[in-house]
Amino acid sequence: MKRILIASVILIASVIMCLCLLTPAISAAAEREVRIADKTGDWGNPSPYLSYARGPGYVRMHFIFDTLVWKNETAGPIPLLAEDWEYSPEEDVYVFNLAENAKWHDGEPVTADDVAFTIAYMKEHPYGWVVLDSVDRAEVIDPHTVKIYMSSPYAPFMEDIGGTMPILPEHIWKNVANPMDFVGDGAFMGCGPFKYADFNKEHGTYRYEAFDEYHLGRPIIDRLIYVKTGDPQMALQNGEVDFADVKPDMVDTMRARGFVVIEGPHYWNKKLMINHNREPLDNIVFRQALCYAINQDEFVDKSLRGHGKPASYGLISSESVWASPNVPNYPYNPDKAKEMISTLGYVMEDGVFTKDGKPLELQVLISMIGVGGQPTPDRDGEILKNQLEKVGIRIDLTSLDTKVVDTKVVNQDFDLAISGHGAIGGDPKILYEMTIQVPGSKPSPNTARYNESEELNNLFDDLMHEMDPAKRRAAVYEAQNVYARELPAISLYYPTSYYAYDPDAGVEWFYTIGGIAKGIPIPQNKFALIGDGASTGVETAETTAIETGTAAQSTPIAPGLAMIAILMAFVTLQIKLSKRKP
Amino acid sequence: MRKRAVKMVAAYLLTILFLLFLNFLLPRLLPGDAIIAMYSGHEIAMTEEMYAELVRMHGLDLPLHEQFLAYITQLAHGDLGYSYICHASTADLIMGALPWTLLLVGTSFILSAVAGIVLGVESSWRRGGRFDEALLTFMLLLDGIPSIALGIIALTVFCLYFGWFPSAGAMTPYSSVEGIGHIKDVLWHLVLPLATLTLSMIPGDYLLIRNSMMLTIREPYVLTARAKGIKKRRIKYLHAARNAILPFATRIGIRLAYLITGALFIETIFAYPGLGLLTYSAISNRDLPLMQGILTVSVLMVLLINIVVDLMYKKIDPRVENAY
Repeated sequence: MKRILIASVILIASVIMCLCLLTPAISAAAEREVRIADKTGDWGNPSPYLSYARGPGYVRMHFIFDTLVWKNETAGPIPLLAEDWEYSPEEDVYVFNLAENAKWHDGEPVTADDVAFTIAYMKEHPYGWVVLDSVDRAEVIDPHTVKIYMSSPYAPFMEDIGGTMPILPEHIWKNVANPMDFVGDGAFMGCGPFKYADFNKEHGTYRYEAFDEYHLGRPIIDRLIYVKTGDPQMALQNGEVDFADVKPDMVDTMRARGFVVIEGPHYWNKKLMINHNREPLDNIVFRQALCYAINQDEFVDKSLRGHGKPASYGLISSESVWASPNVPNYPYNPDKAKEMISTLGYVMEDGVFTKDGKPLELQVLISMIGVGGQPTPDRDGEILKNQLEKVGIRIDLTSLDTKVVDTKVVNQDFDLAISGHGAIGGDPKILYEMTIQVPGSKPSPNTARYNESEELNNLFDDLMHEMDPAKRRAAVYEAQNVYARELPAISLYYPTSYYAYDPDAGVEWFYTIGGIAKGIPIPQNKFALIGDGASTGVETAETTAIETGTAAQSTPIAPGLAMIAILMAFVTLQIKLSKRKP
Repeated sequence: MRKRAVKMVAAYLLTILFLLFLNFLLPRLLPGDAIIAMYSGHEIAMTEEMYAELVRMHGLDLPLHEQFLAYITQLAHGDLGYSYICHASTADLIMGALPWTLLLVGTSFILSAVAGIVLGVESSWRRGGRFDEALLTFMLLLDGIPSIALGIIALTVFCLYFGWFPSAGAMTPYSSVEGIGHIKDVLWHLVLPLATLTLSMIPGDYLLIRNSMMLTIREPYVLTARAKGIKKRRIKYLHAARNAILPFATRIGIRLAYLITGALFIETIFAYPGLGLLTYSAISNRDLPLMQGILTVSVLMVLLINIVVDLMYKKIDPRVENAY
């Protein structure tokens, strides 16, 4: 009995000791540090080729690597590595003058050679974000001037290449044969405002240190950290991070608690994919009737609980600078929808349209697709079913895994499918990419593959290759109008996304116009962290209090062993005891 | 004796082979094109060439039996595959996550077993009493709450409301504390997930021990022991519990499989960087090599533990030796 007592005392004592140790070990602030929460954590090594080819992966990389031009909250393109630039239509050439004081993190100057090298390198080793088919070559004029020769006029150049292609240091990358394997010395060295300090795949954390000699001025914070959390808004409220995405329903609560909530622009749309190879979906009149039967406001009210807005039928976001002012609209009108369907030879019988004795029945594929591909429970399927059945179309709602829906859409094994994608606020080339099946490319599950409209194809040609801004704009407007009339797919709504930050951390985060780089709708633009985008109350701001210095992240062997040893001791004692003959 | 050993080894080898086959086949039976599924969320303008290259890279162009042969050969070389989604070898990813899972699940395993045994024994001894009834009701109630709900309640109360514990992770990333401070930090992060997991495991252990004890304490030898005037506690733990623990050992064998994936929900809620979270991300990214790697490791772990439990039986209850 004594042994049990002793063992219990040891156990209790050790538990108490553990509890005493469990006070957070945080001391006073010495450096300014900002922490950002992320639910996924691991977005790959923060180098151009190794970061995952998704928005957050690019964002992790963009703090370290600079592009030629950039965008901020209200304007783009604005100077980044390039101080100014010029396009000459006669030669089809871009000339960039680079900032003379730009430096790589190892102190070497950034030169025109690096830019020319990057273009050559990325043509040889394709980089997912930037397609360089339209670029012929780059020529170095002097150490800070580079001339980029195009192989064909490419209208989205400034946003798509100039503002997205990270410039690589030639003195490091010239020896790299396979960029997908390169994690060696200098792999994470760029010329951006932050230096790479650490990435931990297992914990999903990133650490960046300010680059003192950054050519646009030293960042306003010393350290930037990404933390993986289960629930970002909880981590924000608990003071573990300074910046996090919040759920729409939490916005008021977060504001009440003193956080600044920023509302995202509507650059992501939920849309109805249509199989144009099947009757009656191949008929423009029928697709227009669908639009009249669809009540976009009901989706916003019920599916988004008001946190969103109805979509433009022209695909390009109605908030984009490229939005056409006169896109055809289809105000909710079920009677008109019925009327239009009956002109196609359908007869209403018992509330369902029939033709040749067969009822008009469509299958709608739904899945848990949400903003940025994040799984979200589907609330749209039932709403759509109700609306379409009201006008006499029988709906077979089929819920499947997102990836299965994607595959079915790619294989054209569907009638209608609810899907969604972003980038509708950036360069209007998205209109081209999401409509036409580009020859030689694998069909994307978000592309309508609507190649039959001659009118649209001609407009797309101008949209992609017209270098005169006014003419291009006219083509973009007209393309949206035609798109909304012919309806290769039907946009339903734009959800509103929210981020919240702690104003005491001293950074004023913002959403980038048209999205970061090619259109990433994440409000983590590096310009918020350097001079211009910074808040005024910098001096008084307090940051999350963590001591300076670095700690290696080790596996929890020591505490684990301690814990297990204590318990093992207890168990051993018990066993020994049980061995004693009574 | 030797014959039996050979039989046993053969049985285990067959099981391994069968499980590896299932493990190989199941991900391939997932509906949808694996390549499209893997890369559909990525900002890659995929060309037909790239698609063909990816199919070749993942070995999906070979006939199924050749794929299986390649898979087994690779495995025999100790190569668990390479995750193209994470740009890392599967073995490295698993080894990175394993210590955390062992810490979390292992500790909660031991805690819940100890608590379950003690509570179960005491409860059965006082069957029908107020203590037993109250505990039984409480345990049944607790058993009815899914671990995921327990986790959310714990987070809301102790993290959001009181702010005592962190909401996520296994340590404060990039804090400068080392040594004791680091251990403190790790334990501090461990408390909530550990408590949740332990609480969710206790009812099962408790109910099993209680039921099995109910049967044993009716045995004549218990009566004899009591008649001899042996102390109650000794009878409870040395006489009765020793015999009642056998089904519990079986349960341990089954439950240890949870070391790998059992904490999936808890790890996801608390963003604890263990195998459960890795499994979750592998499945949601359709990361075939990683999924297979984790499954292979779990299969091997479960079988290994089964062997250990098999051998342990004989130690716990010598009667098993004669049961064959």
